[in-house]
Amino acid sequence: MATDSVLVDFDTARRAALTDALLRTGKGDRSAFESVYKATSAKLFGVCLRIFNDRNEAEEALQDAFITIWNRAASFEAGRASPISWLVTVTRNRAIDRLRAKGKAGLASLDEAAEIADPVPLAEAQLLSQGEDDLLHGCIDGLDRRDAHFIRCAFIGGATYADLAAREGEPLGTIKSRIRRALLKLRTCMEGAS
Amino acid sequence: MTMLDENDVALAAEYVLGLLDAASTVTVEARIATDPLFAAEVEAWRLRFQPMLHGDVTPPAHLWKSIENALPQATGQDVTESKLLFWRSLTGISVSAAAILGILFLQKPDNIPVPAPQAPLIAALGSETGVASLTASYDANTGRMIITPVSLETGNLYPELWIIPADGTARSLGIVGGKSATAIIVPANLRQYVSSGGTLAITPEPEGGAPGGKATGPVIASGKIATL
Repeated sequence: MATDSVLVDFDTARRAALTDALLRTGKGDRSAFESVYKATSAKLFGVCLRIFNDRNEAEEALQDAFITIWNRAASFEAGRASPISWLVTVTRNRAIDRLRAKGKAGLASLDEAAEIADPVPLAEAQLLSQGEDDLLHGCIDGLDRRDAHFIRCAFIGGATYADLAAREGEPLGTIKSRIRRALLKLRTCMEGAS
Repeated sequence: MTMLDENDVALAAEYVLGLLDAASTVTVEARIATDPLFAAEVEAWRLRFQPMLHGDVTPPAHLWKSIENALPQATGQDVTESKLLFWRSLTGISVSAAAILGILFLQKPDNIPVPAPQAPLIAALGSETGVASLTASYDANTGRMIITPVSLETGNLYPELWIIPADGTARSLGIVGGKSATAIIVPANLRQYVSSGGTLAITPEPEGGAPGGKATGPVIASGKIATL
């Protein structure tokens, strides 16, 4: 129990420091931006590697993401999102935009998508999020195999409903309704367990 | 604010996963800006899905230098920070939502984009409470700004538009329509203030506009100007 509370305090303090650095970045503070980079570049590089699965492309995507973060930091609102969620969202969306611009979105085969979803060994500071990782992966694994792959192909591979329908050779409405059912099932699983 | 049903919950997830087409994405982003309950569900889905992207890998050391070199040169501009912060705190709509709303707006047939030496500027104006929202697009080449209300209610008062540049002083751009789009030709002496990073805001004012050019009403919608 004592260990737990120390970890929680550590996490809370880290989040507060990151929020502060991000807010200062929004005011044009370059040293604050550097501390955002130091605190999050490993995590965000991991995001780019998941999406590109290629080191050079992931490096370009990370650079692009941080320039976007610098330009948009003023729109970060501490009350609306956690800083790390905001940073991951900006990075994921920029990387997916790049993937789409290269015409590579949604092309990863189902097997590839499953393979790149394998977790990388976690650093000690990430132990807390391990529980959330297990919860998501456990609940996704509980879905129909095709639905689980569709969800991964969308979030990691940038596939839209139109991409999935074209690739599967099924009507868009059919794909859409099965994924919507799967999403509601996923939410029930995750909310019920937490 | 509305209660969320299963459709809304699924829609929030579809948006976060990036499954939707451009038109639906715009609709969802407008909703995020005006419906805090829906915005919270979107944030909850982000947190649910983000473990799919977990896995720390340290990037190569040279990357930080490249990022630093790619940043715009420091201008040494004297920014009145507290004033800027005050206006920023009122801004409720993301730059991407603004950009997409702006793109749709520019596609209207009465405003066919022509090759222009300066990129159009756009802004989405909203509020934390979600009662008022508008979009603005501006062509620096002609000084023409078009304000389109999405929802705007000022009772028996009139919506007045303000530009707040980095110095934090609000300057009036006049009364705009509360029901339909208004085209304004920004006066030559105010055009220098309409630029990326500035803020547009709406206050309710008496007929004829704020007396003496000073806003009397509260800011009911605001948004940052961005380059399209």
